[in-house]
Amino acid sequence: MAARYDRAITVFSPDGHLFQVEYAQEAVKKGSTAVGIRGTDIVVLGVEKKSVAKLQDERTVRKICALDDHVCMAFAGLTADARIVINRARVECQSHKLTVEDPVTVEYITRFIATLKQKYTQSNGRRPFGISALIVGFDDDGIPRLYQTDPSGTYHAWKANAIGRSAKTVREFLEKNYTEGTIATDSEAIKLAIRALLEVVQSGGKNIELAIIRRNQPLKMFSAKEIESQVVDIEREKEEAEKKKSKKTI
Amino acid sequence: MAATFFGEVVKVRSRAVTEEEEEEEEEPWARDNLEDKEVRQELEKKREVEVLQTQTKVSLEIPLLEQYPCSKFIIAIGHNAVAFLSSFVMNSGTWEEIGCTKLWNEWCRTRDTANLSPTDAFCVFYRLKSDPTIFLCQCSCYVAEDQQYQWLEKVFGSSPNRNLQITILTSRHVTDYKTPESSCNLPSPFLKALKTQTFQDAACCTLLEQPNIVHDLPAAVLSYCQVWRIPAILYLCYTDVMKLDLVTVEAFKPILGSESLKGLVKNVSHGTEILKKLVTRNEIQSNIYT
Repeated sequence: MAARYDRAITVFSPDGHLFQVEYAQEAVKKGSTAVGIRGTDIVVLGVEKKSVAKLQDERTVRKICALDDHVCMAFAGLTADARIVINRARVECQSHKLTVEDPVTVEYITRFIATLKQKYTQSNGRRPFGISALIVGFDDDGIPRLYQTDPSGTYHAWKANAIGRSAKTVREFLEKNYTEGTIATDSEAIKLAIRALLEVVQSGGKNIELAIIRRNQPLKMFSAKEIESQVVDIEREKEEAEKKKSKKTI
Repeated sequence: MAATFFGEVVKVRSRAVTEEEEEEEEEPWARDNLEDKEVRQELEKKREVEVLQTQTKVSLEIPLLEQYPCSKFIIAIGHNAVAFLSSFVMNSGTWEEIGCTKLWNEWCRTRDTANLSPTDAFCVFYRLKSDPTIFLCQCSCYVAEDQQYQWLEKVFGSSPNRNLQITILTSRHVTDYKTPESSCNLPSPFLKALKTQTFQDAACCTLLEQPNIVHDLPAAVLSYCQVWRIPAILYLCYTDVMKLDLVTVEAFKPILGSESLKGLVKNVSHGTEILKKLVTRNEIQSNIYT
């Protein structure tokens, strides 16, 4: 049945599916995992770094991008589509600042991106954007925000979420481990993001990239050393927890 | 004779079969001329499946499993299944290559079809040195529908030995899996099994439910085994990543504890290390998805 209704984006199937949008969601699953966590005073974005070819310059493969000083996003899916969406969002951030003399709110820019994506699900001759995005930042009121958009153009606020390959596994981990306790401090929130990624990332901390935004501070990208030290801490804590558990059973 | 809507009169073939079938005169353009016959013969020859013996580099005259006695045959079809066997089974023992199939079809990447070298033939047969009745087949090429029967004939023969057990591993895209659940809720990758009537052991996972069907070479092998009452089991991994992918290959791990691979896998952690290297090495450096 799908064969007759999946060619044109503007055609609904008899049971109400827009197959091109659903196929675009499959394209998102081909991208590596990205996780976003909203803490009390911090927002964290962690991504699985894709391994880069020997001769390729690593700097050109970036999954976490700043949209403005106080907003950044991570995406999963088609790289080229992401570039277009990010450029449009960045222009919109500056245009808003010039026009209204206020920086965009996280919700505003998320709505802008989602509206852009939705337009492409309703135009003839175009296909949907094959990316999902996690947008994080702080508004002027100092409240941390995390939003997720998908190829259909919907957006929702989340406490924590994951997109890309193995997103389901990471989301299940977050549902079990996201508590008021685990996001009480900044370092706990960062550790939670790294632990969530370690569930699905092969070869540990080497393949993780992390970015944080603290209230009234610009985006900070973690260096490989900083991530490695966090991973070492996490592994030590895990060992200690296991020792305690085995002592209890004895 | 019949008239069409446009007023032309066309000759209609009658479905009535009479004892004396009249020789109908064909139009000149419908007659098979010599050139057509030659082209067809050339194409048939091009699509022939041959099994080349590694030692002698000569095409086997008799089927592979008639040439070599076999008690256990494990077949991996597709990149992920091949990577699984390479990492976990082939590194746990010494396997010698005994043959490979030489075949060509439209999906083959090789241009020179006249002189396919064994390195181009992606279907290789191995035998365990410590137990020469255990065979392994690594098949990462596509065997077209018209070639599947030839492949079976050249490998199994037309009267196979029933005292052999066959295990087939393959993968398929999760969108082919028919279920009332939404594909977003499926825990892909996941394993399903399908076995022949004579296969007595338990499967390592749930059986494939109706109305799902198996396709291509795995289906051909399983059908063959069902017809000849050979115990065989197919493990099918439904995945959302069709190219070589670590998560998909690891989904085959439950099979390591099965009767089929009993005694063939020694060091699972070493196998995992080898698999990681294999995946990193083979990762297509495509930057389309990030």
